[in-house]
Amino acid sequence: VTPEPSRTLAREARWVWRGEQVLGWGVAVVVGMSVAAQLDGALAVLLRVVPVLCLVVAVVLVPSLRWRNWRWEVRPDAIDIRHGTFTTHRTLVPMLRVQHVDTRRNPVEQSLDLATVVVHTAAGSHTIPLLRVTDAAEVRDRIAELARTAEEPAPMVVDDA
Amino acid sequence: MTPEPAAPAEFEPRRLHRSGIAVYAVNTLREAALPLIVLVVISGLGGGLDERALLRGLTFAVLGIIASTALGYWRWWTTTWWVTPEAIHHKTGLIGLKETDVPLTRIQSLDLEQGPVQRLFGVYAAHVQTGGGGAKGEIVLAAVGDDDLRDLRALIADRRPAPVAEAAGPERRLERRMLLVAALTAGQLGVILPAVAGFFQLVQSSLDEDDAVRLIPHTVGTAVLAAAGLLVVAWLLSVIGSVVAFASFTVTREGDRLRIRRGLLARREATVPVERVRAVEVVEGVLRLPFRLAALRMEVIGHAKEQAAAQALFPLLRRDEVRPFLDDLLPELADDLDGLEPPPPRAARRYALPPAALGLAVSIVVWVVTPAGAWALPLAALLAAYGLARFRAAGWRLRDGRLAVRTLRLARTTVFGPAALRESHELAQNLFQRRGRLADVVVAFGKRTSARVRHLEVETAGALFNRLGGS
Repeated sequence: VTPEPSRTLAREARWVWRGEQVLGWGVAVVVGMSVAAQLDGALAVLLRVVPVLCLVVAVVLVPSLRWRNWRWEVRPDAIDIRHGTFTTHRTLVPMLRVQHVDTRRNPVEQSLDLATVVVHTAAGSHTIPLLRVTDAAEVRDRIAELARTAEEPAPMVVDDA
Repeated sequence: MTPEPAAPAEFEPRRLHRSGIAVYAVNTLREAALPLIVLVVISGLGGGLDERALLRGLTFAVLGIIASTALGYWRWWTTTWWVTPEAIHHKTGLIGLKETDVPLTRIQSLDLEQGPVQRLFGVYAAHVQTGGGGAKGEIVLAAVGDDDLRDLRALIADRRPAPVAEAAGPERRLERRMLLVAALTAGQLGVILPAVAGFFQLVQSSLDEDDAVRLIPHTVGTAVLAAAGLLVVAWLLSVIGSVVAFASFTVTREGDRLRIRRGLLARREATVPVERVRAVEVVEGVLRLPFRLAALRMEVIGHAKEQAAAQALFPLLRRDEVRPFLDDLLPELADDLDGLEPPPPRAARRYALPPAALGLAVSIVVWVVTPAGAWALPLAALLAAYGLARFRAAGWRLRDGRLAVRTLRLARTTVFGPAALRESHELAQNLFQRRGRLADVVVAFGKRTSARVRHLEVETAGALFNRLGGS
């Protein structure tokens, strides 16, 4: 019944993720190399080779898979998010539960003209990362507007004394 | 509705009840007490207890009382509160001035609390709440007498459309016998472990190194004995804690709110608007499951940006009393504990395998590392059994827009929540599940409460996801 979300993240997102993978696995490579220097035999070879292989796979495959799987959509009644490579998550946040929205930009995002949208509810927050700055601002304003007008079916307190 | 002439619509700034001086003084003393006690204990252990040390300690105590009374008086003198047609105002400040205004329309409840000092003087601490109760109020009037309280109550009741407080509805009280059972079976590891750790730290910090070395148990036997002793002490502490917290626990339904009164030393009274209760959790703890007993908790959402807080709805009930209890006091969320739909039989191994694999890995490591580690091997079987128990406990139902989900961690927990009150819902599927055509559904009702059913048929899970979104 609920249609799949269709919008994607900015294409530059893949470069951000590639950078993250290089940093993360780079540490593993360095550690592996330095430990391997103390040893010899099959274990030393393994410690040299495995992290490098992981790094290559993680840089080549993971970011593009992740980007392909990331979909989101802002509908009048709900925010719809689908993401995940190993485990796919499909999340629906009803508009009338949204408390506030903000956009964030870390230094990397600033240099690439990207921004992250964070939607807060009473139960926690949901993020739509790495959008173009203009898209992010537009999405933030739209969600804020929709959340303002979304109302509980029966307002409890009517007071104009 | 013609207003009674009794209550004024606004107050001039007034001070708290005079006993507020004592309340503030005792608060100050209490805050300073723990470090002081530790200091005294350490110095006493260091130099031995002679007359001079005793005299010095006494002098410090007297000085402390005088100083805190002076501070309490100053605090009381500088604290005022008043009411305008729009809001209630509170101004307090020893050094920095703090002024708080709460619009009358935002006030959700007036919670009363009576600590030992307040009880001595027959006054109350009044918490002006804009959220769901439980935590500290936005404004705390530390000592309020009966007259002020009447004025305050009238004022807040005036602003609310629904009739409150007068129409006392169904009520449920925790009997003394059940209080004892609740305390004995509480066994909250979360309470016990910090207590034990704290005790160890206290022992460590208050002993010289020589003493500590002397006190280190010499044999494994004494070590085990010491650990068991500590556990018993911790358990006793948790029993006493439960008795103090849950004594004369009473829930009353009054129109559109729940009033909860409890406590032995400090009597607490909290009001929770029913519209803020998002979910009820029926918790059947390990020690309570065999006796078919359960505790009820509820997820109460705060106002706007406030955080949610889970709090006790009732400390202990017989399992078959849960439905009648909810029908009486919280019919909005009442549901049946049984008759839930289980995950498909073929999902059983997915519940059992991951913990079994973990157990096997751990036991192999233990076996390799320690020479006599073979005893660790049954761990895998034990964890597999735990996984199967989780499978047997799991279940869900969505009926008339009401979701019920049961899971087992240590305790068996059943979450009741109307689908319309969810904060978000999610469909999750990992690679293995994709091959097996299974999926998880997670429904979040608040920060502390989220209902998760693992390994449903992918069609069932998808249908559930869509039905949740359709409402």
